[in-house]
Amino acid sequence: MPVVNVKKCTGCRACHIYCSVEAISYEAKKAFIDPDLCTECYVCVRQKVCPEGAIETIEFDTFNKQFQHVLSDPVETHGVTGVTGRGTEEVKTNDVTGRVKRGEVGLSIDMGRPGMGVYLRDAEKVAMAAAKAGFKLAPQEETPLAAMMEDLSTGKLKDDCLDYRLLSVIVEGKCEEDRLKDVLLALKDIANEIDTVFSLGLISRVDENGECGALKCLDQVGIPQPHRGKVNVGLGKPLSLD
Amino acid sequence: MTHSLHRSGDIESQKKDYVWFMYQTKGVNDKNIKPKALEFIAVAEAAGSENWGDVKTGPTVMYSSDYIKMLLSDKTRIRGVFTRSEQVVEFLKKIKEKDVGMSVVIAGVLSEVLPACKEAGVIPHSVNYSLGIWGKKDNLPDDVTLSVTTMCGHHMISPKFVKHVMNRVEKGKMTPEEGALQLASFCYCGIFNHIRCADIIRENT
Repeated sequence: MPVVNVKKCTGCRACHIYCSVEAISYEAKKAFIDPDLCTECYVCVRQKVCPEGAIETIEFDTFNKQFQHVLSDPVETHGVTGVTGRGTEEVKTNDVTGRVKRGEVGLSIDMGRPGMGVYLRDAEKVAMAAAKAGFKLAPQEETPLAAMMEDLSTGKLKDDCLDYRLLSVIVEGKCEEDRLKDVLLALKDIANEIDTVFSLGLISRVDENGECGALKCLDQVGIPQPHRGKVNVGLGKPLSLD
Repeated sequence: MTHSLHRSGDIESQKKDYVWFMYQTKGVNDKNIKPKALEFIAVAEAAGSENWGDVKTGPTVMYSSDYIKMLLSDKTRIRGVFTRSEQVVEFLKKIKEKDVGMSVVIAGVLSEVLPACKEAGVIPHSVNYSLGIWGKKDNLPDDVTLSVTTMCGHHMISPKFVKHVMNRVEKGKMTPEEGALQLASFCYCGIFNHIRCADIIRENT
């Protein structure tokens, strides 16, 4: 965990501009990193933003703190999924894994993004709302948040993690294409009940021209057609044809 | 992770911004990565990738290409950024010829990326579409700042840092290019488009 060594801190205020979640404040002319606001992303540590070297690290004192760090710091590799960043492969290897097959739609609900951070209690709200609408949440072998879930079928998280804040975490899973409308409507509703934002990605198999039939559903629920995408160009081997 | 997908800003500006990835799949093709990564890097550099990196080491705007290559391992994640669709076409053509067997992903404006795939002779398999930002958007930074911070999808670049750099450019203490490089050094993945960022800073100071 990053902490300020007050003996070294000169109170120059050089550090606070680099914190994405405004966890650095000043008390008695010294910098202070609020452990409840800090997401353990380690930007301040890695980039050596203190000219006096006053930002130091101490060991994580709980599993939840360690989880915060692994998910918030893209340099870390998640222990179970083996993936850096938020620890999920989503569309990036779908040509090999075949996780999202024809007739299915994946959603990558990127909680706290862009840049606002997310308390896990808000991630739980979204996961539970989606699950109730027929969304099948991905297991922990595929996405890290599942490790914090008491019940994958409902999206309920363990109570002791709810007050931890991450820079972002992905609620991930899939549903049959004909359930997409219900899930999107549930997300529209729950979006009004969270104290942060999420960026939403819709993952689908496409035809040889890159067209996707599932996008028609967006018009029915009043979501603008997307102009950006992350295109898996199908060069991975062995290629999944599902 | 979806850190290259949800970039924001003017569409014409986004058309100068393409992120490329090489991905290994855990338990399938995730061993002996270094020679494959070197093939990707060679092709990307030949096509003119402006910035690239391995998240385990850092980006080329901070470290030399040789240094990053030396430290490649099975944990490596190689990715970078192009500024023109022609570079994407060249990259995809060559990577297809090399037949390395790793997953390849291009993120960007679909009206540019899909024709580039067609021209390069690759067939899209799956797409992750950006459906935008949902929820409590009142506390988001302004659009210009967001167009810079979202180029580091892991949000290692704070809005205040962007304001600080723009302020220094406005005061003539650094050029837009110098400011963009300073910001880019915080994005360890190497997908921050410092060329586009310099344009954004120049247009808004």
